[in-house]
Amino acid sequence: MPRNPYSRRLFLQQSVAAASGLALSGCGWRLADVRPVAPSGDSNKLYLYTWAGYTDRALLQRFTQETGIEVVADVFDSNEVMLAKLQSGGGGVYSIIYPSDYMVRRMRDLGLLVPLDHDRLDGLDRLFEPYQNPAYDPENQYSIPISWGTTGLVYNQARLGSDPVDWDYLWDNRSRLARRLTMLNDPRETMGAALRRLGYSYNATDPEEIRRAYEALRELRPAIASFTTDAWRDRMVAGDLFAAMSYSADAVGVEEENPDLRYAIPRSGTSLWTDTMAIPITAPNPDGAYAWLNFLLKPDVAASVTETLAFATPNRVAYEQLPPDLAENPSLFPSEEILAKCESISPVGEATAFYNRYWTLLTSA
Amino acid sequence: MTESVSPVPPTPATPEPEERRSRTQGLGPWILLGPPGLWLLLLLVLPVLVIFELSLVPGIRPGDLVNPSGLDNYVEILKPIYLRVILRTVGFAGASTAICLLLGFPVAYWIALMSPRRWRNALVVAFVLPLWTSSLLRSYAWITILRPTGVLNSFLATFGIPQLDLLNQNAAVLIGMSYSFLPYMVLILYSSLEKLDRRLLEAASDLGATPVQAFWQVTVPQSIQGIAAGSLLVFISSLGDFINPELLGGASSMTASRLIYNQFLGATQNWGFGSSLSMVIILAVSAAIALLIRYGDATPKT
Repeated sequence: MPRNPYSRRLFLQQSVAAASGLALSGCGWRLADVRPVAPSGDSNKLYLYTWAGYTDRALLQRFTQETGIEVVADVFDSNEVMLAKLQSGGGGVYSIIYPSDYMVRRMRDLGLLVPLDHDRLDGLDRLFEPYQNPAYDPENQYSIPISWGTTGLVYNQARLGSDPVDWDYLWDNRSRLARRLTMLNDPRETMGAALRRLGYSYNATDPEEIRRAYEALRELRPAIASFTTDAWRDRMVAGDLFAAMSYSADAVGVEEENPDLRYAIPRSGTSLWTDTMAIPITAPNPDGAYAWLNFLLKPDVAASVTETLAFATPNRVAYEQLPPDLAENPSLFPSEEILAKCESISPVGEATAFYNRYWTLLTSA
Repeated sequence: MTESVSPVPPTPATPEPEERRSRTQGLGPWILLGPPGLWLLLLLVLPVLVIFELSLVPGIRPGDLVNPSGLDNYVEILKPIYLRVILRTVGFAGASTAICLLLGFPVAYWIALMSPRRWRNALVVAFVLPLWTSSLLRSYAWITILRPTGVLNSFLATFGIPQLDLLNQNAAVLIGMSYSFLPYMVLILYSSLEKLDRRLLEAASDLGATPVQAFWQVTVPQSIQGIAAGSLLVFISSLGDFINPELLGGASSMTASRLIYNQFLGATQNWGFGSSLSMVIILAVSAAIALLIRYGDATPKT
């Protein structure tokens, strides 16, 4: 009986202590601070956090057959969502993540990636020369490229009646495109396309150039149905949309679903992206992660993935194994001439604030 | 020894049951309130306090030091572009409330007063049935209906009626929101109209009131609390709705909830600004709930 008031008092004392502790620590806590964790004992299960369309059941089953490790793939649709999930502590189960080039750099700077032990990796030398030492991650210290591609336009030839050959096409035909066009839900890509159309760099840092790109997009806005990265596909196939800005990896194969659809790489150049695989510092299963990296570095695996999932492999040996129709597919492997005009998106430092501000203005209007 | 021991027991024996009763009585509310109180504290009060603290840090992103320094994030909301977003949000909420009231009142009236008594419960259940499916699925269903080559336009085409282009417009958002929240409105109006005193309606018509007069002067005043409660509930729900504007509104319908999402998970990360926007929404919703408590429970005036 007398224990009850005591425990109530104790409870109050403890909660006051906890509350004041919280108030004190409130002066100096770090928002969403991500710390490395000790590997968990369960090395028989590997969780991947990847882009939609980068794995399929056959690939996961083959990995399990070869290594005995059960593998589960979750998907994200933008680098920012992936980063936010990891930073807010919701990504603790993943041992492999798939950041794109600029995000590798950003996550490395935030201290979120584990440096890779190259002694445990087999086949890095089978990558194409440029991918052995990419600008975003010298010497592949933190990431391994898994696919690369361009950003372009998927369009419905029958509905448009003509072929877009460059970014200009969107502006010239904006009345015909009225709410029949989608742009990527990505400030750097969409603003970058406008920058490129105006003759500037994808990585412009001059506020005036960024402002002009915004003005150009505002002009185009009545034509834009929505900003989306991958929700355009079924509407495009159904004929609801006439054109969609898209990553080449997502666009390959749309012709098979609707024969009117085509993919075009803008003539004046576009962005060139690389998606990679990396190990986050919170990875509970680093052994499984290395097994996965080595699995996808195998030329025959990389080649079969390129065939079934249609994304361009940076693996030279795998490329040589591809059937000719795939290896010569210009959407998947564009010509050197076009590639020379393309740019990789790289961090722009302070100018990020301008991109974000104009992006908010554009999407909120 | 016996002398010193024997007088002791009788003395505390009398106050003990008294004391026990008062103690258990004093503890009762604490035991009952404890679990929900703890739940509220941990999952509602503390998170709101954290959001409030973050809202005081300008431009904070994950990994930054939390160092509250002022109201900059709140000043930011006053920029015309954001005020327009808030105005649009309130506009959507107000319009969908009005639509729900206009559509929901006749239905609730019919179920409560005109339908056969034994069917009433079944009718109410039938009306609430859509709530059993995920709101996400219902929004996707509307995409299928409203898209240019969708169900609606195929239907119109068979009758030679001109096509409608509703998706990715404000109209689509309003349709989606009204559809999502109509069942709540009907449910609340029904429970209010069910209690309607029909003798007053008979008396009104005996005294020569036309049906229209009787409706405005007898039915509406009696169900005004249901109308207020239903409207506020729909208004609050639409104010915070994310799925309908996001899926149906496309590029044309940035609302406060979508803006908040973008600050946390979207491309333009700024948790501080997102938090201040959230605080404003929380305040607005709290004010609406206060109104609901104040007027939703008022005694009916006849």
